[in-house]
Amino acid sequence: MARPESALAGNPAHRAVPEALSLVVNGERRSLEVEARTLLVHALRDSLGLTGTHVGCDTSQCGACTVLLDGAAVKSCTVLALQADGAEVTTIEGFATDGALHPIQRAFVEHHGLQCGFCTPGMILAAADLLARDPEPSDETIRRALRGNLCRCTGYQPIVEAIRAAAGEAA
Amino acid sequence: MSDVIGVARPRVDAPDKVTGATRYAADGYVHGLLHARLVLATEAHALIRGIEREAALAVPGVVAVLSAGDLPITSSDSDRTAEPLAREEVVFAGQPVVVVVAESEAAAEDGAEAVVVEYEALDAVVDVEQAMQPGTALARRVEEAGDGGDLESIHAGVDEGQDADEEEQLSANVVGRVTRGSGDVPAALEASDAVVSGTFRTPWVYQAYIEPQVCTAWLEPDGSLVVSTSTQGSFVTRGELARAFDLPLDRIRVVAEPLGGAFGGKFALVEPLAAGAALVLRRPVRLVLTRAEDFQATNPASAQVTHLRIGGRRDGTLTGIEARMVVDRGSNAGWGVEGITSLLVAGPYRWEAHDLRGYGVQTNRFTFGAYRGPGAPTAAFALESLLDELAAELEVDPLELRLRNAVVQGDVGVSGSPFPVIGAVEVLERIREHPLWQERASLPEGEGVGVAAGYWPGGTEPAAAVCRVDKDGTMTVVTSAVDMSGVSTGFAAIAAAAFGLPPEKVRVVSADTASGPYAGASGGSKVTYTVGAAVLRAAGAAREKLLAAASEELEIAPGDLEVVDGVVRAVGAPDRSITVEEIAGKALRFGGRYEPIEGHGGSAQVRGAPSVSAHLAHVRVDRDTGEVELLRMAIAQDVGRAINPALVEGQMRGGTTQGIGWALFEELTHDENGQLETGSFLDYAIPVAERVPEIDTLIVEVPAPDGPFGAKGIGEAPVVPAAAAIANAVDAAAGVRLRELPMTPPRVWAALQRAGSSAEPNID
Repeated sequence: MARPESALAGNPAHRAVPEALSLVVNGERRSLEVEARTLLVHALRDSLGLTGTHVGCDTSQCGACTVLLDGAAVKSCTVLALQADGAEVTTIEGFATDGALHPIQRAFVEHHGLQCGFCTPGMILAAADLLARDPEPSDETIRRALRGNLCRCTGYQPIVEAIRAAAGEAA
Repeated sequence: MSDVIGVARPRVDAPDKVTGATRYAADGYVHGLLHARLVLATEAHALIRGIEREAALAVPGVVAVLSAGDLPITSSDSDRTAEPLAREEVVFAGQPVVVVVAESEAAAEDGAEAVVVEYEALDAVVDVEQAMQPGTALARRVEEAGDGGDLESIHAGVDEGQDADEEEQLSANVVGRVTRGSGDVPAALEASDAVVSGTFRTPWVYQAYIEPQVCTAWLEPDGSLVVSTSTQGSFVTRGELARAFDLPLDRIRVVAEPLGGAFGGKFALVEPLAAGAALVLRRPVRLVLTRAEDFQATNPASAQVTHLRIGGRRDGTLTGIEARMVVDRGSNAGWGVEGITSLLVAGPYRWEAHDLRGYGVQTNRFTFGAYRGPGAPTAAFALESLLDELAAELEVDPLELRLRNAVVQGDVGVSGSPFPVIGAVEVLERIREHPLWQERASLPEGEGVGVAAGYWPGGTEPAAAVCRVDKDGTMTVVTSAVDMSGVSTGFAAIAAAAFGLPPEKVRVVSADTASGPYAGASGGSKVTYTVGAAVLRAAGAAREKLLAAASEELEIAPGDLEVVDGVVRAVGAPDRSITVEEIAGKALRFGGRYEPIEGHGGSAQVRGAPSVSAHLAHVRVDRDTGEVELLRMAIAQDVGRAINPALVEGQMRGGTTQGIGWALFEELTHDENGQLETGSFLDYAIPVAERVPEIDTLIVEVPAPDGPFGAKGIGEAPVVPAAAAIANAVDAAAGVRLRELPMTPPRVWAALQRAGSSAEPNID
């Protein structure tokens, strides 16, 4: 049943009031308007077209939407876009520098740390956060650091190997 | 070319996937896009008495509120493709009832919340065994019409057995019955030295692909329908949509986007909703399921109850097997796994007599769908558990018992057909060598190692492929196969090896249904075996064109030429040569004199290529808490030929890990009213990195005669016996036999209490 024209006036209770937001994404200042309820992940995907940040669940379990917020890994489905006002955000699109893959990205390619790839951006950014805090993590530490990132394809072992290899390269 | 086939290389799609450049089905920008949100049934079984839409339509941005009667569906079938929204009867909690379409996701969500559906509740049928009894309430009251279309046959290509005799009085909820019989089972069991039996229960299990189901549909200016979607099969989706909407095939174009996981679950569930709305509204519509919707409204693996009895003789010969297998299909009337599971419960073993019965039963839980090796992990859990018990009774080593009865080529299976080439013996011999097995007697108290084996028959379906060489000397391979497991990387290697190019010079394109050569859905472990064979022939056909041109250029007979790393040269005189690039340049130009360097190839495999896997699991059982800690696993699998060993190991580990989920964590449960209790990743645990051990992979290569370079489909076998191996390890570690999955701490603890071992809790 299509919507009658008379209803187009709408209910004020539902009117979305846009709010201004300014943040630095992948090194570039971006200004946009979002509804107050907009989650960071949706601002990144829908307003900025950064679709490498994926949505895999509604409950902050899967970690597919992980980005770096002022250098720390956060699940961008758990942050309101407005909470990121003034912050620096790095998404997977901004993780490679000067056209070269980041060592973690390269390690994921070479160590087969991905299959379908849907969890991969979140895995890589979670790994970046880990290696920034602990440059030489044990396998146990790596596995613990990934507890908020679900992968259904690989069985994790090649992901752990990739992160270990990237750590070795950076060390 | 030995430097291409059998060499580990990174996936061709890896660079895009690590940089966020891959566009999944939810990612593409579409002008004028509308967003859809679903209203799901809150009752497990009910009649729809009314739908209040006005409040939803009043939400700014809401464009339409559509129920079943609003979609332009002509089919009266009652499967999920033809009935994407419940008509008059709701048959499970979470069934889509209304789709709200709006200018934004947020408006669609607000609109969906404002819809009020009035239900008249009916008795919910939630106990699958109760549902079989004559006179019990029916899970669906409104008469069925038609069948489930093409989806039934795509998963395994195994025979479905004979229809059951009708002597048994059963409820109309029993919609599928299969019997397989041969020999005198009671006599065989009577003449056995030991007979063991048990009832095994497995729950509904969710595929849990990380990318929720998603589809975008729009109409082209000529009115044809385009569907951009996350699916395992483009042609099967096109066929399903044509059936639902009564559209000619050439009026539908299905584009299978890169797949964010599927494992059997992505077959024409969301496409009819997005397409139906687009056809009504004549605007692009995208439906991205939320995870909550995906849990409730999709199609997980069936719960199953297996009553099994087997016998053997002291010399280690298996005698008779008798199974009664009850499969909970939920609302799926079209197909179920009772046919496959009642075949696979016999395992890769010889039996003197068998009587195997499968029942597919409708209930008010979900809609059953395929999940990696449908019906196989459940069958292996029962059989492989009992084989260990039988081995103990017979005082035979459990691995030797399996080896002594393992099928070889020519043995007639319970399907009634002889097995083709099969590597059961080789796989069992290989896993026997692993240190976990060799050293199992010297483990500390509370630890144990278990073994189990299983197989997947392997599907077949005709397929075609095209290979085209461009002016720059690179090749494009075109198929319509959906890359679910890395097959594109394998196709590149196959084409490179067959043609004579370095694999870096081959790109693989997955075409849509308007332009691509035919391929079936990616399922049943058949893509490399069938489409890969087509790629091999297509590359060979292109090579013939290349050699014909090169022969004229070099004035050497084609039979005296070879192609190495992109150069055609005379055998034995490598300085007499011409590059592929030069020949392509001479062909692809105005006035050129050679046919384009292209080839088309097809395959129609008539023999399946079963893949056998065997697992070892090493566990520690905490007697105080019942927790099973998985310390290590090993898997040996016959893969025919590993085109790319890294990708093969990826399938082996990934499948094993899903088996770990079956064994220890995963369970979709309902309350007595049919309400889902575990509808998020908070409540439904899939294996996380911390709970998955190192998994050793042992690749066994028994070449498949018809496979490309001997390769076969390998995706499903690794999940089959994993849970059974873990169950056998739990028994080895703690002396308790779990007959219900998953083996959660409460279940293991209760089993320990029943066994009377360590009954005293440690209170100091």
